[in-house]
This record gives sequence, structure tokens and C-alpha cells, in this order.
Amino acid sequence: MKIGIPGSLLYYYYYPFWQTLFEKLGNEVVLSDPTSGDLLNEGVKESVSEICVPMKVYVGQVLNLLEKGVDLIYIPRFVSIRKGITFCPKFLGLPDMIKNSLSAVKGRILTHEIRAKTDDISEYKNYVSFRDIFQVSRGELKKALDKARQNWLKFRSLQQEGYKTEKLLLGEKEKREEGFLKIGVLGYVYNLYDRFINMDFMERLEEMGAKIVTFEMLDGEIIDRFVRNLRKPMFWEFTNKLMAAGYHFINSEDIDGIIHITAFGCGPDSILGPFLEIDAGKKNKPFMTLRIDEQTGESHLITRIEAFLDLLRLKKRSDIA
Amino acid sequence: MAKVFIGVDIGSVSINIVAINEECELLFRLYKRNTGQPVELVKEGFNQLQKESGSLYEIAGVGVTGSGRQLIGYVLGADIIKNEITAHAAATTFYYPEVGTIFEIGGQDSKLIIIKNGIPVDFAMNTVCAAGTGSFLDHQAIRLGIRIEEFGKMALQAERDVRIAGRCTVFAESDMISKQQYGFTKPEIIKGLCRALVRNYMNNLVRGKQLEPQYIFQGGVAANEGIKAAFEEELDHEVIVPEHYDVMGAIGIAILARREMERTGRRTSFRGLDLTRDNFYTDTFSCTSCANECEIIRVKANEEVIAMTGDRCGKWSGSILNTGEREEGHI
Repeated sequence: MKIGIPGSLLYYYYYPFWQTLFEKLGNEVVLSDPTSGDLLNEGVKESVSEICVPMKVYVGQVLNLLEKGVDLIYIPRFVSIRKGITFCPKFLGLPDMIKNSLSAVKGRILTHEIRAKTDDISEYKNYVSFRDIFQVSRGELKKALDKARQNWLKFRSLQQEGYKTEKLLLGEKEKREEGFLKIGVLGYVYNLYDRFINMDFMERLEEMGAKIVTFEMLDGEIIDRFVRNLRKPMFWEFTNKLMAAGYHFINSEDIDGIIHITAFGCGPDSILGPFLEIDAGKKNKPFMTLRIDEQTGESHLITRIEAFLDLLRLKKRSDIA
Repeated sequence: MAKVFIGVDIGSVSINIVAINEECELLFRLYKRNTGQPVELVKEGFNQLQKESGSLYEIAGVGVTGSGRQLIGYVLGADIIKNEITAHAAATTFYYPEVGTIFEIGGQDSKLIIIKNGIPVDFAMNTVCAAGTGSFLDHQAIRLGIRIEEFGKMALQAERDVRIAGRCTVFAESDMISKQQYGFTKPEIIKGLCRALVRNYMNNLVRGKQLEPQYIFQGGVAANEGIKAAFEEELDHEVIVPEHYDVMGAIGIAILARREMERTGRRTSFRGLDLTRDNFYTDTFSCTSCANECEIIRVKANEEVIAMTGDRCGKWSGSILNTGEREEGHI
């Protein structure tokens, strides 16, 4: 079978897992095209207008996969990967949202619930329904899951060694650039790595002489310890991860500044942002929020990045002097 | 010949050109309304500069800032192209070494820059809404039938206070209309509007940040005495409007150009004053190489393509060496 995977949302975190799993089960994996103006426009047309732009992109990618003629489109329902913490409601309702906004997708959605204790989503019980769908034995499925897990763990450890996520997903290995300034960039993977909606934000930062650090590059234990010790964690998994990374950056001497990149209208970020902004201020750590949406005029983005880096450069030089 | 450095600020509402000498003294200044043809306006500006002082000085560096900086940067062959936040901060810290807070309100955006010990440490810019910027005031002045130049003075004549909603220009406008219908005078309405705009600025940009004096208010809107008074009332402190409040961005980028040339020891890449005789034009086309269908802007000088921009992948912008590979520029 041809299994389509939309190249957005958690694609940037779990693709190596999914790719291996479906291939080991004897399928061909088809990835949607990278986000483009056309793809976004199609997605916007079929989405409810209040939803955040990454969700609109996702809808566009599902449409793109339909055009490519896949048999099934994989849209898992991420419920929880940590005890007591769930995902943003848009992830919880993702398969339903797609089913109800796109009539053409009827009967072609492959979905199931994911409930795990950690980021490792390979537990067999989540995938029992795959045995019938792909006509495989329990043993074969377990073996495929194990292989998928190994590949995903390898991907995660390469990320932590400083290899660029955006390159790893293409099967390439390239380390993050070094730079005079070290910037902690906070954002969900689908905002960090979708070059179209963020207008090449990461590349521009690197071109302007910044070394980027993101949450997936941190040791998982830093994140887990922080979330465990929170008196009142957030409800949403990746928001907690960003919060942990954010406080880690605020307290790291070698981080010159923090940029929070967020999609306009993101509910969880509307709570996360002020926490970090206020506490970064207390520790004198420069902090900037960048909002992305459907706009393609990049001058406002460039102005902000440039001015922020100028400010950090002046500060760093005067600190050294 | 004495050396001068030119600063050009291409804003949404105005285009400003200044010349400074090596001591950063202002020798020439020009403030022009941007009528949508920046290249022509810049040419006229350089013409005027040449007439007034052309043979006395040698242009040793050119800097461009403002939202239209890229295109004009190509046309002029600028030595440094920088964002307007850095440029404004450079000018203000030069004139006011003790500055703590800069309020800059321009045609389509407003900025807050916080300075500590002469170094910018934080900034904010309006995000989703242009409420409270110059173009909104322009629009309201026309609606009330008042010249924008008289707008601010009129606010000072108000006898009563009236509250106008400042969160959104659409609400502000309907509020103004209904308050007019209740019988409030024009000066009172204008004063209410000025205070609403400052309130909006405080809510959207300052957002509880600690502000320290000196407070410097610049940008085109600083001409408006009503807004200045409203800021003073809000802060309960004197607010200073610099002499050249309306061309501070241009002065700042000229100062940065001077520093850049001094630091690198380079010769200027400026095309020379002959450019006023050159024929520039821009056209656009849609690139069809991929699904992004970027709109590519092509800048030509006398039929020769000198710059292309607007592509996301670098296919076009990288295809010609844009005026000798200018570097981003240090500060």
C-alpha cells in the first residue's frame, strides 16, 4: 500500500519512526510536498478560519497527498506521551477535524490513538489495529516497531549531537553553524522547520551569525526533570518541553538571547510566552517573540531579527570590553 | 574636499535624506512625503543635495534604512543597509548620551527602544495592528477637515476630556463619530484621540516594561504636540522631541555608514551623483520554477539589471552580484 504522511506537525519529530514502521510492514511511504504558497492556499480554503496556520498547512498537505493518489493517509491521534499531560486539543481532534472538513478523504484515513509514558511511542498496544490493516502477525508488527524505535532513537541522538533536524529529515547530516552569538530558539517543531511559513527564519539567523540551540538539542533528562519538578505543569506536552527549554536557556550563561517563534492565535503559547518573557526579564536575558501567520512579506521579520541580533552583539561586545 | 556621509530612510509615509560630516554635524536634510515612487524621490533628493553642496564635498559613505531599504540600497550602491531600529538608536544615543527610552512613531509602525548606558537593550514593535501610527492620524485629520500640521496644536486647546477607544482604529473612528454627535468640540475629540493613541502604545508596546528617562520622542508623529503632551501626562515626566525628530532614522544610518567606512577602511560603493541622470525602473514577474511562485522584483539601471529580489530560494537574487557583494555590515 501507499501510505501518505503529511509533512507537518509532528512529522518533524516522528518521521524516522513512521517511515521505518510503514516500510517494514511492506508499504511505500509517500511524503507530501514541502509547504508552498499553493499548498497553503488550498489548506486555507478548506480550514476553519480561526485555526492556527500550521493546522492550515496540514490540511493543505492532506489534500496534496490525495492528489498524489495514496491509499491511506496516516493521521494519528496523539493523546498523551507523559502521565497526566495531553496534547493541544487540535492534536486530540486532528483525525476528526480532517474527516469533517475534507469529504474527499473519506475512507482513506489511517488513524489510531497514541498513549505512551514517554516520547518513545513504540509500545505494541497502540498499534494492535495495524495487524488487520496490514495483514501482519503480532511478531512481525513487534519487529517493525522495534526497528522504527531504533531509527527514531538514532535520529534523536543525532539531534542532541547538534545535527540539523531539517537536514536529518532529508537523510543528510549537517551540524548547526557556529556563530558569535548563541541564540536559544523556542518553538514547536512545525514552526521551527517549515521554511515556508517561517520565511527561512532559521537560515536567516545563521546567516546573520547566530548559533542556534533548540529544545530537541537538549538532553531529554533536562526537560523531564524540569517537568517533573513543576508544581503546576502546563496541560500540553510540547508546551511543557518548550517551557523547560526556555528556563534552561534563561539560566544558561552562554545563551545570549532567546527568540520565541509562535503561530498567531496559538492558545498554549499565549500562556507560555508571558511566563518566559517575565522571567527572562528578571534575569536580564534578552527575549523576543516572533509571530508567524499567513503573511509572506518578510521585511518585518528581517527587521526584527536584525535589530535583535544588533542589540545582542552590542551587549556582548560591551560585556567583553 | 571634506568628506560627507549620506543617510537615506525609506519609510512608508516619508523619504528622508541627510548628509553629515566626519564630526556627525548635519549639513543637509530633506523630508519628503513618499508618494509611492521611492526611486524618483531619491533621485530628486540627490539632485537637490548636489545643487546645494555638490561640489564642496566628497561622498565617502552611504547608508540606507527603513522598510524600503533593500531596493534603494541596490539603486544607490549603499555601503550599509540596516533596519530602522538600530538606525534610530544610533542617532538618539549620539545626540542624547543619557537617553533611557525612545518612543518612535512613524507612518505605519511604532517602536519602543530601551537604552541602558548608551546601548539599546530591548525593543518592541507594533505587531498585528497599525492603530496609533501616522497614517491613522492622517486619515482622521482628513475626516475632521483639519490639516495634519495643525492637529497637535488643536489638541492643546481642549477644555474638557473625552475618552476615545484606542484599542482599534475601527472602534476609535466610530467612537469619535458618536462623541462628535454628543457635541464635543474638535479640539476635545483630538485630545481624546491623542490620549487613546498613547494608551494604546503603552498597552501594546510598553506592556509593563520599566521605562527610564530621558524620554525621547521621535519619528514623524513627534510633530504632534498633542501626542507629546499625552505622553508627558502618562509618564508624569518631561518628554524631549529632538530638533531633527523627523529625520532621526536617516541621521542614524548616516552615522552607522561613517562608522562602517572608518572600521573597514573601504572605499564607498556608492554609484555616484551621476545616478540622478540614470534611468531606473523596476518590474516584476512570477517565477514558475516551483509551487511557491515567488514574485520576483527586478531593478534595472539603463536597461541593465542591477538587482533581483523577492525569491525564497536565491535562484534570482544570487544570479547577479548585487553591487559588489555588500556585507550585512557591523555596528
